[in-house]
Formats: sequence, structure tokens, C-alpha cells
Amino acid sequence: MTSVSETAAEPQRGGPLPALGRRALAGVQHAGRAGRLWWAATASLVEPRRYWRESVAQAKRIGVDGLGLVLLMGALSGSVMAQQTSYQLNPGLPMSLVAGGVVAGMLTELGPVLTAIVLAGRVGAGIGAELGTMKVTDQIDALLTLGRDPVVELVVPRVVAGTIIIVPLVILANGIGIFSGWLTAIAILPMTTAEYVQGARSYYHSAALIFSLVKALAFGFTISFIASYVGLRAEGGAAGVGRTATRAVVAIIVAIMVLDVVLAPVYKAVS
Amino acid sequence: MIHIQGLKKTLNQKRVLDGVHLKIEEGETLVIMGPSGTGKSVLLKHIVGLMDPDEGDVLVDGISVANAGRKEIQQVRERVSYVFQNSALFDSLTIRGNIMLGLPEDRCAQRDDVCEGLVRESLTHVNLEPEVLTLRPAELSGGMQKRVAIARAIVGRQKYILYDEPTTGLDPVNAAVITDLIDHVSHDIEGTTVIVTHDVEAAFTLGDRIVLLSNGRIRAEGTPEQLRHTEDAAVRRFLSPSSFVEVA
Repeated sequence: MTSVSETAAEPQRGGPLPALGRRALAGVQHAGRAGRLWWAATASLVEPRRYWRESVAQAKRIGVDGLGLVLLMGALSGSVMAQQTSYQLNPGLPMSLVAGGVVAGMLTELGPVLTAIVLAGRVGAGIGAELGTMKVTDQIDALLTLGRDPVVELVVPRVVAGTIIIVPLVILANGIGIFSGWLTAIAILPMTTAEYVQGARSYYHSAALIFSLVKALAFGFTISFIASYVGLRAEGGAAGVGRTATRAVVAIIVAIMVLDVVLAPVYKAVS
Repeated sequence: MIHIQGLKKTLNQKRVLDGVHLKIEEGETLVIMGPSGTGKSVLLKHIVGLMDPDEGDVLVDGISVANAGRKEIQQVRERVSYVFQNSALFDSLTIRGNIMLGLPEDRCAQRDDVCEGLVRESLTHVNLEPEVLTLRPAELSGGMQKRVAIARAIVGRQKYILYDEPTTGLDPVNAAVITDLIDHVSHDIEGTTVIVTHDVEAAFTLGDRIVLLSNGRIRAEGTPEQLRHTEDAAVRRFLSPSSFVEVA
């Protein structure tokens, strides 16, 4: 039987060793609960009629919420990449390498990672706070008593929307970053459009783009899933909801960076 | 019938329920009273399977809630509806959407007109005009939100309705209106009603039977008349409207 409303505080006694043990136990419990939520969400995917409408609404919301900031961050990071790469070049090296640096940096790292961090702040905190508020105001329990499944009604639409909508956002971030890199190159660096295009072409290979989109999918799932999980664990009224939103953002950013480290050698092996 | 059998529950190292035995007969209105923190709401949550007991069980029409799987718990929730203390309406939905949640999921997809009729009928039961159907919960007063929550609980015609502190947070006038409304609804739908409250006046108005919980156990049980004439000094002290002290 699902028990969403139960809470149980752990006893706080002893020195550092028991504290470490408690933390380890809490970690295992979180992993177990998250695994159960993941399984419940995955099992619900077979009935799209129950969540697709809400998924579309959530995708619109996430896309609109994140778009402006994603474009801004993409543009700024492309410009910075162009400048920093040019400053690192030894005299005599072709300036077209700047474009290679921008394209490589945007596709494999900055595009997906910055988009994910922007969405962690805006969307992750939003989902965490929204579900957290629903939890502390008994709306989740109300759904259960009404015979509805909060996983299908709330978690699945957000995770599906978050996982899918990040892909076009990352594509846009990559595009605007490469574009602003070009703008920076011709405006403040001793470089022509032809050099930039040649450099970009010589670096570009489809594996980098695919890797960028795979990362986007992984990050999108991570953001929406962790935010939903943390939101559903909220307790303690308005202050608890605030703590939940912060906790969601921190957990998401840590998870994204860990995932980024794990995926880097995968890319090397594949490409 | 709802049969509570030796229910025990510990939360935050505190024994909240300590072996509660209780039978709730069909058609009766049972009021569960007691000081704050004595496990009234926890008891209610066990009936509908929102909490798992440490020991004991709840049988709803013979279905064991403690051992229920997904299918069985769904059967229980088709029979039991629940009015939450703070109404628990969904901010993102209109009043119509909120009340429709009380109907089985696939029912409205097939017969929209029937559902609309049921929604409007439930609204009439709680004395609200159809104009509110397009509003959002935030646009209603606390008393009106409580009425919508009751409408949502009765629209599916469940056999048992559980009310968790239905008058808490309302001003005396609205509290009296809600008490009156619960009384009417109980008679109109002829179901079984369980009310958790520490509003002594409401308890004596509504209850066919009153149970007083103290320290996780049933301290007293009987009709309003029997409890009025109880010899137990602690119970008498609690039932005097001005004192809400812990029963000794």
C-alpha cells in the first residue's frame, strides 16, 4: 500500500560514527524510494491517454519558462568561448581553431550543461515547490483518496515534458552559442566569416551533436525526476516548501555535474 | 461496516494510536473527539489507507486495508470519501474540475452530460450556485472552499464519508453553517459519516455516537446523551466547551 503522508524522524544521538551511519541509511532509503518512484512512473508510461494532455501543458510551461534565459546563457557562453579560445592560441596557429573551440564547447558541454542548470533553477525549483505545496496542503493525499494516482497525474507528465522539451532548448542554446561566437569573432577578433565557417565545419561531426542531445535527454529526465521526487517528500508547511525547492535545485545541480563526468568518457569511447 | 481492530501507530517516537478497537455501523454518524495530538486524524487516515498501521487492521466492508494491494485499496477508496481539514482543493483546476475528480476516472470521458448533472446536483446539496463552477479555489472564501470539498466528497455517492476537522479555521458563523450542512448531507445521502473534531457543540449536534480518544486509546464511547451524563471527571472536563485540556 502506498503511504505518501507518513513521516518518521530519525533519532539524533551519538557521535560522528552513528551520524555517518544514519546518513548512509538515509541515502539508501532515498535510493530505494526514488527507485520505486522511477518504477511506478515507468510502468505508467504504457497508458499515454492518461498523461499526454497534461504533458503537453507542462512542456509548454517549461519551454516558455526556460527559453529566454537559455538563449541568453547560450549567447553569452558562445561569446566567452570565442574570446577565451582566441586568447589561448599561440601566434601562428590558424584562427579557425576558435570556431572549433566554440562548436566543441557548445555541443559537448556548455549547451546541454548550462541549459540544464538554467532549467534546474527555474523548472526544478518550480516543480519541487509546486509538488511540495500540494504535499503539505494534503492535495496529494486527496488525489489518493479520490482513487487517482499522483504518479500518473503529477509525476509522469512533468518527467515526460521535462525530458522531451529540453532537447529543442539545447538545440537552440547550441545554435545561438555558435552564432554569438561568430558574431564575437568578426566583431572583436581578427577573424573573417569564412575562417569561422571553415573552422566550425572542420570540427563538426554528427557524434558531437548526438552526444549533445543524449546529454540533453539525460539531464531533462534528471531535472524533472529529482524535482518531482523531492517535491513529493516535502513536509513542514510553507518553510518546508521553501527548503524543498532549495533542496531540489542543489540535488539536481549535483546530479547533473556527476552525470556530466560519467558521460564524458562514454563520448570519448563512442566518437 | 468499518471495523477497526487493535490499531497501533507510532510517529516520531510517540505512540499515537495504542490499540484502538472500534466498529462503525452502516448509516450512523460517528464523531471522534479528543485533544490535539491524540491521533484522531491519524485514525481517519488509516481507514482510507493513507497510513500503514504498525499493528492491527481496518476492515472496510470486510476488505483489510492494512493488507490491501493496489486493487483492494482502490475498492476501499471507491467506498470511502474524505474531506480534508484544509479542503485540499486543486489550485490549478476550476471548481468544476475539482468536483469532477470525485467521480470515477472513466465515467466522465464517456458521459459528459451525466457528469455535469451530478456535479450540479452535489453543488445544490452544499448550497452553492452553479456560477462558481468556472471559478478557481483561490477565488472562494474558506467556508465556500469547504463546501466545494464536501461537494467533491459526495458527488461519487460513496458509502462512507470521513470529515477531518471540518470546522477548523472557520469563523463561528461559517462553522455553524458547515455543521448544519454536514447534518443535511448526512441525512440526504443516507450514508455513514465519520467526523473528527474537537468542536464539542458540533459533535453533540451531529453525532449519533461519540468516541473520545485520549493518549491513543478510546477513553469514552456512547451516545451524546450517555456522554453528557458520564461519571468520568476527565471526560466531563473535556466536554465542557471552554476547556480543551489533555484528558488525564
